[in-house]
Amino acid sequence: MSRVNDSNNFLSIGKSLPRKEDRRLLTGQGRYLDDIQVAGELHACFVRSPYQHALILAIDTEAAEAAPEVVAVVTGKDLAEWTTTHRMAPPIDGLLPIEMTALPADKVRFHGDPVACIVATDRYLAEDASELVEVDYEPLDPVCDMFKAMEDGAPLIEKDMGTNLISHQTFETGNILHVMESAGRVVESTFSTPRQTPLPIETRGCIAEWDEGTQHLTVHVGNQAPHPYRSALAGRLKLKETQVTVIVPDVGGGFGQKIALYREELTIAALARHLKRPVRWREDRMENLLAASHAREDFVRTRAAVDANGRITGLTLELVEDFGAYCFFPANYLARVVAVILTGPYDIGEYAFDVKVVLTNKCGNGPMRAPMAITSWVMEGTIDNIARELGLDPVQVRRLNMVADDAYPHVMATGETMEDINPGAALERGLEAIGYADFRRRQEADREHGIYRGLGICSVVESTTYGSKFYKAAGIPGSGHECAWVKVDPSGTIRASAGVMATGQGYETSFSQAVAEGLGVNPQDVDIKLGNTDIAPYGMGSRGARGGTAGGGTLYLAATGVREKALAIAAKLLGLNTAYQLTMRDGRVCRLIDDDIQETDLTLADIARTAYLDPTRLPDGMEPGLEVTRAYDPPPMTYSNSCHFCEVVVDVPTGAVEISRYVVVENCGNVLNPQIVEGQQLGAIVMGLSGSLFEQVVYDESGYNQTGLLADYLVATASDMPNIEILSVATPNRRTPIGLKGMAEGGVMGSIGAISNAVSDALSPFGAVVENHPISPSRLRLMLREKT
Amino acid sequence: MDKVAFRLNVNGMDHDVLAEPRKLLSDAIREDIGLTGTHVGCEHGVCGACTVLIDGKPQRACLVFAIQAQGQAITTIENVTGEDGGYSPLQQALHEEHGLQCGFCTPGIVVTMEAYLKENPDPSERDIRDVLSGNLCRCTGYQSIVKAVQKAARRMRGEDTEVA
Ligand code: FES
Ligand code: FES
Repeated sequence: MSRVNDSNNFLSIGKSLPRKEDRRLLTGQGRYLDDIQVAGELHACFVRSPYQHALILAIDTEAAEAAPEVVAVVTGKDLAEWTTTHRMAPPIDGLLPIEMTALPADKVRFHGDPVACIVATDRYLAEDASELVEVDYEPLDPVCDMFKAMEDGAPLIEKDMGTNLISHQTFETGNILHVMESAGRVVESTFSTPRQTPLPIETRGCIAEWDEGTQHLTVHVGNQAPHPYRSALAGRLKLKETQVTVIVPDVGGGFGQKIALYREELTIAALARHLKRPVRWREDRMENLLAASHAREDFVRTRAAVDANGRITGLTLELVEDFGAYCFFPANYLARVVAVILTGPYDIGEYAFDVKVVLTNKCGNGPMRAPMAITSWVMEGTIDNIARELGLDPVQVRRLNMVADDAYPHVMATGETMEDINPGAALERGLEAIGYADFRRRQEADREHGIYRGLGICSVVESTTYGSKFYKAAGIPGSGHECAWVKVDPSGTIRASAGVMATGQGYETSFSQAVAEGLGVNPQDVDIKLGNTDIAPYGMGSRGARGGTAGGGTLYLAATGVREKALAIAAKLLGLNTAYQLTMRDGRVCRLIDDDIQETDLTLADIARTAYLDPTRLPDGMEPGLEVTRAYDPPPMTYSNSCHFCEVVVDVPTGAVEISRYVVVENCGNVLNPQIVEGQQLGAIVMGLSGSLFEQVVYDESGYNQTGLLADYLVATASDMPNIEILSVATPNRRTPIGLKGMAEGGVMGSIGAISNAVSDALSPFGAVVENHPISPSRLRLMLREKT
Repeated sequence: MDKVAFRLNVNGMDHDVLAEPRKLLSDAIREDIGLTGTHVGCEHGVCGACTVLIDGKPQRACLVFAIQAQGQAITTIENVTGEDGGYSPLQQALHEEHGLQCGFCTPGIVVTMEAYLKENPDPSERDIRDVLSGNLCRCTGYQSIVKAVQKAARRMRGEDTEVA
């Protein structure tokens, strides 16, 4: 129709517009959950288990109930009457079903498990009263190690399950056994990340209001996926979905921790309905560290069959993940993606995996930016080990095994199709930027002076936007589609909404660009309304890296629908037979005459006025109004790629790691707002570096969480982190609207691998290889002691 | 614990507060005075989100009892503005450099770095990173914040005055 949206000719997208969100957030006018006050609200506080595994014999709430200003004290028994039990039983091969109540009535399963909830008129007094609740526990043997949890006779987290091995999935290509057995050489590598926590700087919390007159529940909560959350909440409370509204205010970060309906939030909602009064809960940091979803903690072993040149002829993966005690997500959900996309940019035809997920007496796991974080480290660390064992250059081994950029689409051994990526170009561009040959010379020369430099390279193929076909194929219930609407009001103002919700990604800005592009208006004139389930269309929420492609892409499509209707009206008003040759620019109808664009007198506001207030002038048969709702289901999977280069200097006597340079080459397709995308990339890379160098949730041997204070859970600060240079070799995706691909997690995947490989490279004279995180000075000193 | 009446001076205005002596300054500012720009991320003095100025010096409001702050001048993010009532140079630079994402850490960072730049008009990147290391940000990776502080410092010194 018009030429305005040729991919080379974007007017609104691809521009670094400063963010609309910033004004309120920079001036202290943001409105986060805890900033909202509701008249007559009560404050809740949870009593948590000091045991990691114990039967609950009795709970005496009498003293707490008698404490000043206490309104109610409830336990799992009360909640069982008000809520349903959640059964997680998707029809996935190898995954066992599991059930979860609102609060445990039978036994506690980890240190921090909530057992009772106090509601008082004041938060300080609720906390005082929580100390008066007396719980009679009978301690059980805990099991806090995933390998021990798989042994015969291990204490069971779920007795009825009969095992702690909640998920076991395997895969193999036809010839893998033969390839491994007949290989000239098999290189074995291991990798392990500890337990981590997403650690948004804003903790969890919620406010629930019950309207007795309308029998309606409104819940304010920081959440990445408001509609699926509403469905879950209504179901668990035995309410109709129309009786529940979820409103998400500004969110102080999520990183995967704000997706599921937590038991605490369900409890608060049930209490608001029971008491017929608003109830609020703000988690303190200790609760966040003990009891908000954890992530990672896995052990991985690869075995690579190679020939003398370093060509990989077959690869096997064993992965064990410690999922903790509760399943807010299907237990196989995170680990399986690692196994499915492991081979990434490499042409490895024969492949097998064995993935086990185990329950233990720890806080339950969930996703954390990126759920498949370990993937690239495992693959690229394996390649480096091959190079080391065969005495080859690691870059040569990569080049030898990589799928050529012009050979995409490429079908991985697991059947996944990757397309529109260029890992070869990203690798070469980065090598050039870093000055690879020169680096090796410097490295060599500096070693003579006791300076141990290392370079780590990590190619990443990031699965970004999951379409419904992917879910179906993986046997996971749910959908990858997204829904959006764009409405032009009678006055000509433009509003738009989608089902995704931002937790800092700047959707109000980037989505206004997508709508502006599709509609032909200025992004400043588009208001994005997200996070209220009564306003936004039912969507799947923000997770993975789907926000841009699924959210932005769907909004773009809805906006083009509005433009088409507006231009059809314009043609009629201008007395033209057809809208061909009409387009919209900055809210004004223009005629394309040859290659010239001529403005008409007609504006979008004129068209809107006609559409709503003067419908007899519309083309025959056209509905009044000017709004379009669209749903869009992305391809089964979109992929972005990148290549990370991390240069370090390791101080051998102290084990300190200094990052001296960090370069990343990105291909995440066309982007809505380059500055926002860069912000996501920087944030992701630092999250990966922080995890690799510092982060670890520590349970002692008996299962007590030792990292209940932020001072104990180390994360990167500004002085620990390098400046990151970002280069681009972007190519668009051919199948998504506007060529979007998505990103936001690849940075984590890449930096984990790059830093680990860099430290191993630095320590290669000592034969030490990083196999565990965090790469702390004490761990490095220990490794070096063992080797020297 | 009984509530006591005391007076807090916040952003140049006196507020009468009736609160328990154990009430944290961060909670009093947010709940009793109603200024919610000061955020609470840890209540242990680690994250820096709650930073306010007490008599001009950055302090963690979660480590001070409200009653202890009587008679002192407290300044919060709500009082940080430019001369024209718009953005301060630092806020402007953070906006231009995308120095915030979720924005939860931002008030603490703005308050901390405003005070720092007043005393240190020409800091090195290392200096900035060292001072900033008292404020945790989980979103940005810090780089864009550092760039913004450098840019604001240049502008406050009268260099690089062009505003995008
Ligand atoms: S809330 Fe005060 S330092 Fe974190
Ligand atoms: S912007 Fe989110 S924590 Fe800093």
